[in-house]
Amino acid sequence: MTALTTPTSTISNTNKSEFWQGCLAILPLSIAVIPWGILAGSLAIDAGLSPLESQAMSAIVFAGAAQLVALGMIKTGAGLLSILMTTLLITSRHFLYSMALRTSVSELSRAWRVLLGFLLTDELFAIMSHGKTQCHHLSRWYALGGGVSFYLCWNLSSLVGIVAGQTVDNIEQLGLDFAIVATFIALIVPMIKRKSVLVCIGISLASALLCELFKLSVGLLISALLGMIAGHVFTKISGEYQ
Amino acid sequence: MIWLTIVSMAALVFISRYLFLEPRLPLRLNDNLQKVLAYAAPAVLTAIITPIVWISDHQISLSIDNSYLVGTIFACLLAYFTRNTLLTVLASMALFFSLM
Repeated sequence: MTALTTPTSTISNTNKSEFWQGCLAILPLSIAVIPWGILAGSLAIDAGLSPLESQAMSAIVFAGAAQLVALGMIKTGAGLLSILMTTLLITSRHFLYSMALRTSVSELSRAWRVLLGFLLTDELFAIMSHGKTQCHHLSRWYALGGGVSFYLCWNLSSLVGIVAGQTVDNIEQLGLDFAIVATFIALIVPMIKRKSVLVCIGISLASALLCELFKLSVGLLISALLGMIAGHVFTKISGEYQ
Repeated sequence: MIWLTIVSMAALVFISRYLFLEPRLPLRLNDNLQKVLAYAAPAVLTAIITPIVWISDHQISLSIDNSYLVGTIFACLLAYFTRNTLLTVLASMALFFSLM
């Protein structure tokens, strides 16, 4: 390798390596999402969508929780407006994610912003938050690797569900939702590096419990906001370094 | 109708993910707001899993028979001591399904 080509190839090697680091970081979450992808595919067929429509839903919407709920509503013949209102409610947490990433992502080119915005799932946000605390800056290639590999995994597992096409009885009793719990726990626990994070989690948890008991449909958003504010207020009161 | 549903859902989801990434949106995040937003990940992730873990039939379930709770405690211990995401996910799921 000549001296002239070294700098550029070093840069592209770094990008490539960061891309793969992103793939690797999200891998456990990609594995845990497989049963959900299969479910989204088979539920779509069950709700009366054609195979093409079913795959398009996973490919264009790319939002597990919103898709599963919407498919249930389509099956029971709900109207478009109520499906969209429900989608808005479920997807509203992403406003928080994009706001939290505004400082680091808004300065990227439009292509990067649109791409990372489209790929911005709970899972990608989680590994981006994690990656940021580890190397103090956000690598767009790391984010892209995580986002793209997770997207492929979601769509391939949806395809499996579409091809299998069978409905699964007693979905609630299969315990698939524990896969979500396990992955999120594995992400949350290493984030607890300061007392204020623990306070944030405690308040968010308590509020989510109360909202669930009172059957508030905006419980997720309220609880997340309360937890975030509580964490910050705690740092102010306790003088914790941030 | 299905295509309209898919496309309009996709538009909503994309707007929610993209809106604040757009630099032309006239919004400056002040210091306090940025610090609050730094807690978004643990706060949202906790709020998503809490109902799954603690609630069954609209009641808080604190019993050892609640395999979600047992699996969660095990996952917390694994995550704390091993710091290994994949191991935590696989081992706690193995325990969870053996309890179910």
